[in-house]
Amino acid sequence: MAEFDVGNGTTVEIDEDGFLQEPENWNKEVAAALGKTEGVEDLVDEHWKVVDFLREYYLEFGVAPMIRKLCKSTGFKLNKIYELFPSGPAKGACKIAGLPKPTGCV
Amino acid sequence: MASRPRSYKAQKVIDRLGQKLNRQVVGSLAACVHCGMCTESCHYVLANPDDPTFAPAYKADRLRKLFKRHYDWTGRVLPWWVNAQSVYTDEELQELKDIVFGKCTNCRRCSVNCPMGVDFATFNRMARGLLVHVGIMPEGVAAVSKDQWEIGNQMGVLKEDYLETVEWMSDEVVDEMGDDKAAIPMDKKDVNIVYTINPREIKYDPRTIANAAKIFYAAGESWTMPSEGWDMTNFGLFSGDDDLGGAVARRVYDKVHDLNGKILVMSECGHGYRSTRCEGPNWAGYDIDFEMESSVVTMLRYIKEGRIRVDKSKNPGAFTYHDSCNFARSCGMFEEPRELLNLVTNDFREMYPNRAENYCCTGGGGAMSMAEYTPQRLKSAKVKADQLRATGAKYVVTSCHNCEDGLNDLIKHYKLDMEVTQLVNLVAEALIVDKKEAVAEVAAKAAPAAELAGYTILVVDDEPDMREFLTTVLEDNGATVLTAADGDLGLEMARTHKPDLMTLDLSMPGTDGAKVYETMRKEHDLKGIKVCVVTGKPELRKLIYDRDIQRPEGYLDKPIAEDSLLLNLRKILEVGSEKS
Repeated sequence: MAEFDVGNGTTVEIDEDGFLQEPENWNKEVAAALGKTEGVEDLVDEHWKVVDFLREYYLEFGVAPMIRKLCKSTGFKLNKIYELFPSGPAKGACKIAGLPKPTGCV
Repeated sequence: MASRPRSYKAQKVIDRLGQKLNRQVVGSLAACVHCGMCTESCHYVLANPDDPTFAPAYKADRLRKLFKRHYDWTGRVLPWWVNAQSVYTDEELQELKDIVFGKCTNCRRCSVNCPMGVDFATFNRMARGLLVHVGIMPEGVAAVSKDQWEIGNQMGVLKEDYLETVEWMSDEVVDEMGDDKAAIPMDKKDVNIVYTINPREIKYDPRTIANAAKIFYAAGESWTMPSEGWDMTNFGLFSGDDDLGGAVARRVYDKVHDLNGKILVMSECGHGYRSTRCEGPNWAGYDIDFEMESSVVTMLRYIKEGRIRVDKSKNPGAFTYHDSCNFARSCGMFEEPRELLNLVTNDFREMYPNRAENYCCTGGGGAMSMAEYTPQRLKSAKVKADQLRATGAKYVVTSCHNCEDGLNDLIKHYKLDMEVTQLVNLVAEALIVDKKEAVAEVAAKAAPAAELAGYTILVVDDEPDMREFLTTVLEDNGATVLTAADGDLGLEMARTHKPDLMTLDLSMPGTDGAKVYETMRKEHDLKGIKVCVVTGKPELRKLIYDRDIQRPEGYLDKPIAEDSLLLNLRKILEVGSEKS
C-alpha cells in the first residue's frame, strides 16, 4: 500500500499496482491525477463518458463491466476505447474510474 | 520431553505433504548439492544479489527441511545433521506463502540450469498447493480460483455475456469481410477445429477473437467456438491445486468431445497451453480422443499449406520475440512462433538469451493477480527490461497473455519505447483476403500443371535420395533443376548459374548449410537468389536465427510432402515476381 499524491494537497491510498484502495475516495481530481499515470494527460468529455459509466456500473454490481457493455452503453467502437486509454480498458480506464485491479491474467 | 504444540493448519500441511510426494518431487528434494548454479539463473536473485532468501536453493530448503523432518529417514533419525525442521504456527505458513508465491514465478529457468536435475518449480508449485489446501494464499489467487470453480472461467464471465460478445465480434468480422460466411460459428458439431480462448479476450479485449475468426474464414476452415468449456486457462497450474486443474481441463475436453471436434485449438496463452495440452489429461485422468494444438501451429500450417496468403509489408517495424516460460521452456514451442513471425514481418531481431534460456516476463505463475508482490516483481524485471532494450525492436511479440501483461507493466516501469503484441494480430494484419471468394478459392487453388515453368532451381543436399526426389518433383512441374552434393559446390553453382531459388539442406559434411546461407546473403551477386531451407532437424534453424542476417524466404521440414513442397516454392517464387 502507498500514498498517492493527487496534486491539490491531498493524498489517497493506492495498492501496489496503483489502483485505488477505497473506491469511495474517488473524485474527479483523483481521476485526473491517475490518468496521468496511465498515459492520459487530459481527461476530455469522451474520457468522462467511459469513466462515469465504469464507475456507475461498478457501484451497482461490484465488478467491472464486460467491454461489450462498455462499448454498447457509450456508443464507442472498441478501437476508440484503446485510443482514449492507451493502456486499455482493464488497467487504464478501470484504474482512472477508481475500480480495484481486475483479477486474473491482466 | 513434551512436544511443541502445532496449529491445525500446520498439521494439515505436514499430512498433505506425505500424500503429494511422488518420485519426481522426492528426487528433486533429495538431489540438491547446493552448488549454486540455480542462483545465477533466477531473475529475482539477479535483482537482489545481496539477499540470499531469493536463491532457488534457499527457497527450496524451506520445503526440504520439512520433508527431511517428517518423511526422510535421515531427518527423522538425525534432524540436526540434515537441517531438518518442522512447522508449528500459522505465521510460519504465512512466511512460506510469501516465498512460494512472492519470490518465484515458477518459470523453471533454474530447473533447466540445475546439473542435478532438481525441478524446483515443480515442488514450489506443490508447496503452493499445500498452502491452498489449508486456505493460505494471496487474495487474488483465491478470487480467480473461486471464479474458475464456480462460474467456470477465471474472470467470472456469465454465459450470456460470453455469447453476446462473440456475436458482437462475429458481426464486426462479417461487416469487414462483406460476407455472411465469415460469421463465428457457435457450438457447431463435427467440425475440424474447436477454438478456445483466455477470458481476458472476452472480457477486455476481444480484438484477438475477431482476428482469429478472420484467419479461420480466410483459410476456409470448418470451426466453432464452444458455448461452455471455452476457458482454456487454468489457475490450478498457478495455485498448485490439482483438483481445480483437473476440473477446469475436464470442462474443456468434455465440450470438444460432445461437439465431436477433431482438433482443440488454443489461442496464444502460455499457461493455458501447458495446462490444457500437457498437464490437464493427468490432472483430470482423461482419455483424450482428439488432437490439441496451439493457434500458432494452426496459423503456420495455413501459410505453409497455402490456405492463407500474407503480405509482410503490412507489419512494418522491428520485432523481437519473447519466449513464454510455459509455452517455450516447458512445452518446447521454440521454432514455430519464430517461423511464423518471419513469415509475417520483415525485421525480426532475436532476444538474448532466448528459447529455453529466456528470462521470465516476471509476471508469470499468477503473479499478475498478486498485487502485494508487485514492487519486488517489478524490481526483478530489470534483467528482462535490459534484454528487451538490447534488441532495439519497437514491438515485442509473445504467445502468452500473461507475458503480454507482465511485459506491458515492465515496459511502463522501465520507460521503454516498446509495444507488446501477439502473432494472431500480426497474421490478421498481413492477411490477403479476396473478399467473398475466399472460402471457395481454397479448392480452386489446386496446382495447375507446369506451375514452375521458367524457373531454375538449385538443389543443395548431401543425400542422393533427397536430390533425386526433389529433382523429379520439380522437373515434373516444369522447373529447370541443378543439383549440388555439398555446400561448397552449391555456392560455386549458384555463382555460375544464378538460379531463381536454392533449396538448402542444413546438415551437410564440409561447409554446413548455415554457413552456405550466410555467404548467400553476404555476397553481392548471390543476394537476389531466394533460399528455402530444407532440413530434417528443425532445431538446426537456430544456427540461422542466431546469425545477424536476413531470414531465408522459406523453411520446409523433412520428410516433405510433394504438394507442400510445390505450394511453398511457388509461393516463394511468386512473392519475388510480384515485387519486381
